Amino acid sequence: MRIAVIGAGPHGLSALKALLQNGIDAQAFEREADLGGNWNYGAQTSRVYRSTHLISSKPFTQFPDFPMPDGYPDYPSHFQVKEYFTSYARHFGLVEHIRFGSEVVSVAPVGDGAIWTVTVRDRHSGDLHVEEFDGVVIANGHNWNPKVPRYPGQESFGGEIIHSADYKDADVLRGRRVLVVGAGNTGCDVAVESAQNAARTWHSTRRGYYYNPKYLMGRPSDQTADLLLALRIPLAVRRQMFKASLRFAVGDFSKFGLKKPDHRFFETHPIVNQQLVYYVGQGDITPADDVASFDEHGVTFTDGSRADVDLVVFCTGYLVTFPFLADADLHLDWHEDHPRLALQVFTSKHRNLFVSGLIQPDSGQWTLAHWQGMLIARFLEARQLRPVVADRFYADATAQSGRRFSAGTTYKDSSRHYYEVAHQDYLQSLQDAINALEVPA
Amino acid sequence: MPSRPVSHREVITALPAEPTGRPPLLMVHGIAHAAWCFAENWLPAAAAAGFPSYAVSLRGHGGSAGGRRLRRTLTRDYVHDVMQTITELPEPPVLIGHSMGAIVAQLVAERYPLRGLVLLTPAPLHSAMGDLVAIARDRPADLGRAVLGQTLSMEPEVLFEGLDPATARSYSDRTSTESPLVQWELLLPQRVGPIRCPVLVIGTPQDRLVRVADVERTARSHGVDPVWFPGMGHDVMLDTGWDGVLDTVLDFAGDLPPWGRARPQG
Repeated sequence: MRIAVIGAGPHGLSALKALLQNGIDAQAFEREADLGGNWNYGAQTSRVYRSTHLISSKPFTQFPDFPMPDGYPDYPSHFQVKEYFTSYARHFGLVEHIRFGSEVVSVAPVGDGAIWTVTVRDRHSGDLHVEEFDGVVIANGHNWNPKVPRYPGQESFGGEIIHSADYKDADVLRGRRVLVVGAGNTGCDVAVESAQNAARTWHSTRRGYYYNPKYLMGRPSDQTADLLLALRIPLAVRRQMFKASLRFAVGDFSKFGLKKPDHRFFETHPIVNQQLVYYVGQGDITPADDVASFDEHGVTFTDGSRADVDLVVFCTGYLVTFPFLADADLHLDWHEDHPRLALQVFTSKHRNLFVSGLIQPDSGQWTLAHWQGMLIARFLEARQLRPVVADRFYADATAQSGRRFSAGTTYKDSSRHYYEVAHQDYLQSLQDAINALEVPA
Repeated sequence: MPSRPVSHREVITALPAEPTGRPPLLMVHGIAHAAWCFAENWLPAAAAAGFPSYAVSLRGHGGSAGGRRLRRTLTRDYVHDVMQTITELPEPPVLIGHSMGAIVAQLVAERYPLRGLVLLTPAPLHSAMGDLVAIARDRPADLGRAVLGQTLSMEPEVLFEGLDPATARSYSDRTSTESPLVQWELLLPQRVGPIRCPVLVIGTPQDRLVRVADVERTARSHGVDPVWFPGMGHDVMLDTGWDGVLDTVLDFAGDLPPWGRARPQG
């Protein structure tokens, strides 16, 4: 059995490692000349900017079987993250299983789908090369294809508009009048860098959010949060504790001119940014309403106010795209803008087509990447050794396609939060799935 | 809460003259010992046989930092130290744990895909209560010391059978203090998840710290039979006959399938 892995970012690497570790031969394809995917700073598909640091702390973000070095800080930089992935790949002998500079241009099943053909373009020579595999793990990432909004009058705008996908460092902001659109973690980072570098900064957000600190009670805040989880503090109480701690440390966000959150804690993807409120308080960031329209000199917001700006940075997120899969709706059960998956990994359409990395956890990512890879490997192993168990598992799992892992909350704005998972809930589900595959036939 | 790192970790290394393709060996010492106990005989001999060999001193032991916090150190801190050491190795190692270090090694094997696991006179994961009772019968004063949080006796007669008295005494004198919390933790039954790598368990019938029954139970939990070395004491890497034990370990390590090439057992 030989499996293709598309992409050598963190999810591609952990899938590759899990397969090899479980005695399954695998070949990964990476379009860039180096591994790291999004964290391969400077590469065409990388979306990290010079100042990017992790926003979940080291112990919750690392691969559980390959801890980050003790010398790393609580929140490592993207340079350190890339170095970490490189040593992971070297340690487990993954590099010899990765073909670099190789862009997968097509993935298609042969006949009933027992075999897949993978067509790869060598980016150096331009040559196409076709190979057959017994299965495919899609790990091409979901944070690279920019989602760009359209507003009335946008064509007449005389200034510059960029998406955060093309934001690399603060040079572009220096001395300009900047509007940052979007209050995701990137939007908040860029707004802060703009506050430090631009002449003026507006920050347009659709709603109010809870801007979480990176530290709480002397610990990275995700560790404090997980301590409460470990103590089995109920959701309602945890909500109140988090609200109270923010209220105590910062106070009512609306007093700073920020919008009041229209949702409860844990109902949107957490934003970790301690500096945003600080710069709002210093007057370096002017909070603004949703954008209504553009004109030649700037924008008008939905509350009627306007701002003259010469640079707009859309931090409006990314679209999930599998450009190599011609019939994504057929092969991955596509619904609107996303595939309908079981456990965010399996599709009911094919037993040998897997997706890894289509998750956005409220905590670190790569612990989950590790267990997604292990689940795929153990499923393939079970298909060989205990087919009855594997079949039963697959039927049970795919019967629950589309199930969410929200640990009891209801996410706001479901399209943005389709990939959102509550890490404790999702991790438990992955563990249960792996255990179900371990049962003797 | 994650373990707090220490500022320095001692790793003693012995490498073959040139690369041989053999798997690295990482050795973890037991109570009150440190990397020196492997550096004495095993590291040079294993390197000469073509195995890149490493021995780590857990925090608060040997040349590693952490002595001042030793009284607050837990087994999970030792697991952290070994995991950190592993990530610095060029490839997945065969992990060799002696005594209490065997517990650390099994906890590592639970979360990390080792090439192979070797347990030398392993302290039992299922609780050392039985050993403590045996120790109490054998050396009642020791029981009191252990209960009060003092380090178990590392006197020559506890550790060695065949060594000449002077050498035995010199090794015994090199032992240090152990974390009382870790010693008490030995009494608690611990569980590890399935370990998928090949396992070798080594014991001696004359062991004055770990009972034969406990070695047998540890081996059974991994689906193997222990290999016995009669006539030796608890410190099988130092006592007379250490070379025979090492040969068995190296045979095991040399026969392991390459990592990521063969289906693991279990």
